[in-house]
Amino acid sequence: MATTTSAAPAAFAAAGRSHAYARRGRYLLFSLPALLAIFAVIVFPWAFTVYMSTQEWGIVGDTAFVGAANYLHLLSDARFLESIWHTFYFTFLAVVLPLILGIAAALVFHREFPARGLLRAVFIMPMMATPVAIALVWTMMFHPQLGVLNYLLSLVGIPPQLWVFSAHTVIPSLVLVEVWHWTPLVMLIVLGGLASLPTEPYESAVIDGASQWQMFRHITLPLVLPFIMVALVIRTIDALKTFDTIFVITQGGPGTASETINIYLYLQAFSFYNMGHASAVVVVFFAIIVALSLLLLWVRQRTLWTLKT
Amino acid sequence: MTPSLRSAFGHSPGLGLRVLARKLGFALAVFAIVSPAILVFLWMLSLSLKNEIENTSYPPVLIPTEWAWRNYVAVFEQNPFLLYTWNSIVVSGTSTLVALLLGVPAGYGLAKARASGIAVLILISRMTPGLSYLIPLFILFRLIGLTGTLYPLIIIHLVITLPIVVWIMMSFYESLPRELEEAALTDGASLWQAFYKVALPLSRPGITVAAILSFIFSWNNFIFGVVLAGRETRTLPVAVYNALSFEQVSWGPLAAAALIVTLPVLILTIFVQREIVGGLSAGAVKGG
Amino acid sequence: MNDHRREPRPGLDRRELLKSSAGAAALTAATLPWLGRRAFAQADFDWRQFEGEHIEVLHTKNPRADLLQQHEPEFMELTGIDVGSEQVPEQQQRQKQVIEFTSGATSFDVTDVSWHVQKRLFGKGKWLEDLRPYLDDPKLTPADYDFDDFSQAGITYATQADGRIDTLPAFIDYWIVYWNKELFDAKNLPYPSNYDELIEAARTLHDPANGVYGWVSRGLKNANTPVWTSLLLGWDMDSVNEQGELQTTTEEAIRAAEIYTELNAKYAPPGVAGFNWYECQSNFMQGNVAMWFDGIGFAPPLEDPTKSRVVGKVGYGVMPPGPRAQHAGMFGTGLGVSAFSEKKGPAYFYALWATDKENQARLLANGAGSPARESAYQNEEVLANLTVPRDWVDALIASGKIGRPGLPVIIPVTEFRDIFGVALTNMIGGADPKTELEKATEQFRPILEKSERA
Repeated sequence: MATTTSAAPAAFAAAGRSHAYARRGRYLLFSLPALLAIFAVIVFPWAFTVYMSTQEWGIVGDTAFVGAANYLHLLSDARFLESIWHTFYFTFLAVVLPLILGIAAALVFHREFPARGLLRAVFIMPMMATPVAIALVWTMMFHPQLGVLNYLLSLVGIPPQLWVFSAHTVIPSLVLVEVWHWTPLVMLIVLGGLASLPTEPYESAVIDGASQWQMFRHITLPLVLPFIMVALVIRTIDALKTFDTIFVITQGGPGTASETINIYLYLQAFSFYNMGHASAVVVVFFAIIVALSLLLLWVRQRTLWTLKT
Repeated sequence: MTPSLRSAFGHSPGLGLRVLARKLGFALAVFAIVSPAILVFLWMLSLSLKNEIENTSYPPVLIPTEWAWRNYVAVFEQNPFLLYTWNSIVVSGTSTLVALLLGVPAGYGLAKARASGIAVLILISRMTPGLSYLIPLFILFRLIGLTGTLYPLIIIHLVITLPIVVWIMMSFYESLPRELEEAALTDGASLWQAFYKVALPLSRPGITVAAILSFIFSWNNFIFGVVLAGRETRTLPVAVYNALSFEQVSWGPLAAAALIVTLPVLILTIFVQREIVGGLSAGAVKGG
Repeated sequence: MNDHRREPRPGLDRRELLKSSAGAAALTAATLPWLGRRAFAQADFDWRQFEGEHIEVLHTKNPRADLLQQHEPEFMELTGIDVGSEQVPEQQQRQKQVIEFTSGATSFDVTDVSWHVQKRLFGKGKWLEDLRPYLDDPKLTPADYDFDDFSQAGITYATQADGRIDTLPAFIDYWIVYWNKELFDAKNLPYPSNYDELIEAARTLHDPANGVYGWVSRGLKNANTPVWTSLLLGWDMDSVNEQGELQTTTEEAIRAAEIYTELNAKYAPPGVAGFNWYECQSNFMQGNVAMWFDGIGFAPPLEDPTKSRVVGKVGYGVMPPGPRAQHAGMFGTGLGVSAFSEKKGPAYFYALWATDKENQARLLANGAGSPARESAYQNEEVLANLTVPRDWVDALIASGKIGRPGLPVIIPVTEFRDIFGVALTNMIGGADPKTELEKATEQFRPILEKSERA
């Protein structure tokens, strides 16, 4: 994608395939320390988690090997299955909405207008703000009788909502917080893409008499698509793993209406101390995240490939 | 400012109402995009400066009738906030620094080797649910005898900072023209020298963005500090959550604490937004 | 555990309180009563035997810990022991304790223990030092500590089934009904004297069109379970009986759940299903809720004019009698010494100091909670200088006589609260109480059985 025309000097071009291959290996050495560091941090937790997922862990007693029992138990655990559904529902909204709004915002900020720098800074502030702190403020704003959000609605004649205090609206309300937080990230990534766009296609399109929408649809969108895909992957991983916001605002409630896998995991591990069960949840959860990420990365490669041809 | 002003307020005065309407529509769009951020931060500020009685009153009061500066005093009285701030700076600063030391060459190597598979491997640490690190690492750090120090937090924060740095730098180097390094290589420089002497000096925009984003994401992390930090090693987000107290509604001090934690990053944002946008536009997160 | 209700708590009667004023007068004679007495005690007891040591204290974040922290310099002066103490919000504090205890080493030497949640768990793990040898040793426990001064309920709560005493009673929490006198007076209603009247009062006062709600109590899962279990006590029934059998599908349990549902679904502010004490308190403080049922520790904020619009209008009501009995749901906290601590002596001293007569009296004086010591309620100096209304103390004393554990004394208390909490939240949302309770019981029974087997 990046620099397609390699200006490699003739000497290298002649060096042949095996040489390039060896060089690739030596380049990979550059990333070895980082890889080792990552694995040093995650290998023990991983080994521990996988081991624990096969154990029945008595909090004040011995552990006993139970094989796949913890996993089998998950299959019949209605609350866990429900939490998967909540996670997907939440993730879908918390990915799609910031993507749409982020692209729109990027198109706006791509244009020149007065005080653009300052307004852009204001716009990206939410993604910089500490989620826990912000979640606490949102909790206050959501209060059904005393919250400022219902007051704002009342100003425009909309009846008060229950927001996170009702099982029906809790997930969309939490998504609202996520959208507020992470639309700027999408905007930044897409803005980066817009900045690198060539100007020629637009010029010829204008000559051809294309409308604004046609130009967006047929030129801008395909060209920034790789950037949108990056935003999609990052957003999906983060949305699946959202914890701070939900934990602080609803703790999975009302009832279990906003209990995502991560919240369920927290409950099992840190409230009930069911380490074996929780470890099995981690493994399944991780598998879900990896599967979805790989799917998206694969889609990303596919789209890039389609674009190139 | 002048060129942007011109573009916003019309190329020539004679284009009429339609242009004006379009400008107005655009201004409205900008307003709509920016207002949620302003609303929340403004409300946060307002909460932090009011008495509880006004914070919980309905209809809500925006401007305090009596300025409750003591909310801020309370925050500093109840918590060693300066210590926590220092802890946060040390943890986020060190883990960002280490991530840059390891991650910048890694990003370079991965970009040059076009090894996106390995790059995905680095993302694994980001994909692992954060909660699953806590208990094993707590036990591990206890065994090594690191509890009670900031090292456990610095180490675990690498899980946040390293993938960010690697991915941003990888995208950055993918877009960097390679002629200069190739020239250095033909002149007999080693791969490392080509990186260190040629590519690295050109990397400032990329490194700036990587550093800022990884610092901020580390600064904002909450869950690692909850379990792995002790009384002397607590970081700021945990301290904010600790402002919640049983039996006392304390929205004022809570908002004050939230604002104190958020303020450094917000101020940083205003100063560095140009760098962030510039750095990302310079070719970050490009796929290939 | 099940026998506190048999013991009437002596010495908590108001008449007796007044009678004991002569003794308290001697106290007031000293210009610095708090410090004065302890200095006297020091004469024949070596408080400084651990001088120069350092201990770490882990408190739950609440007004009681505020009080102790505020006065810690006194302890350091008295003993020469250096104290590092911190308050952590309940939820994280409990996690921190369990994670550290299970890892076999603790960063704290002293910590507080919520009996109603952690007693059996901590007892089973033997994570806290048995304090009986310390209490019996006159070199370690000054004579004026007076362990017998603790209420019977406190001592029973602090004693494990095998007789170990691994915590010193710190405070006992009763659930009461906060009622808005202004709203009651407007409709000429008296404070209810039984469950039916309670429901009737909520119905009569409920006027959502004018922004007035008859009732509020916790609807958030887990937090809401004590509301229901406390109601159940009115049938003279616990959620788990002495044989360890679940009573959660009995007719009484269902009836209690129906009352819970009626009050919260019909007469509480919209959104109550997500309310914790935080939201309940905010609403009640605005003056638009007639009754709020929760722990007794909320008087200071309700009577603080910078926070509350109901200052001077709050009635502190003892839980009215149910169909078969009158009980106030009881919860409690003790202070224990970590079994993994290397400084058990100094840590024990801290626990002694924190639960001594002076500090217990301070709790009452500041309305920060209900002391576990009876002498506190007889301290006329304290009663004369209350920062909270006298009504509150009366409700406290009356509740003390009818206190009964509000949560079952089992190991998986958190799961109990969570599973039944979800059921209760569902009921507010319209689910049938009987079906929900049966479902929850079926879900919880194996967990309870497993915990007892292990």
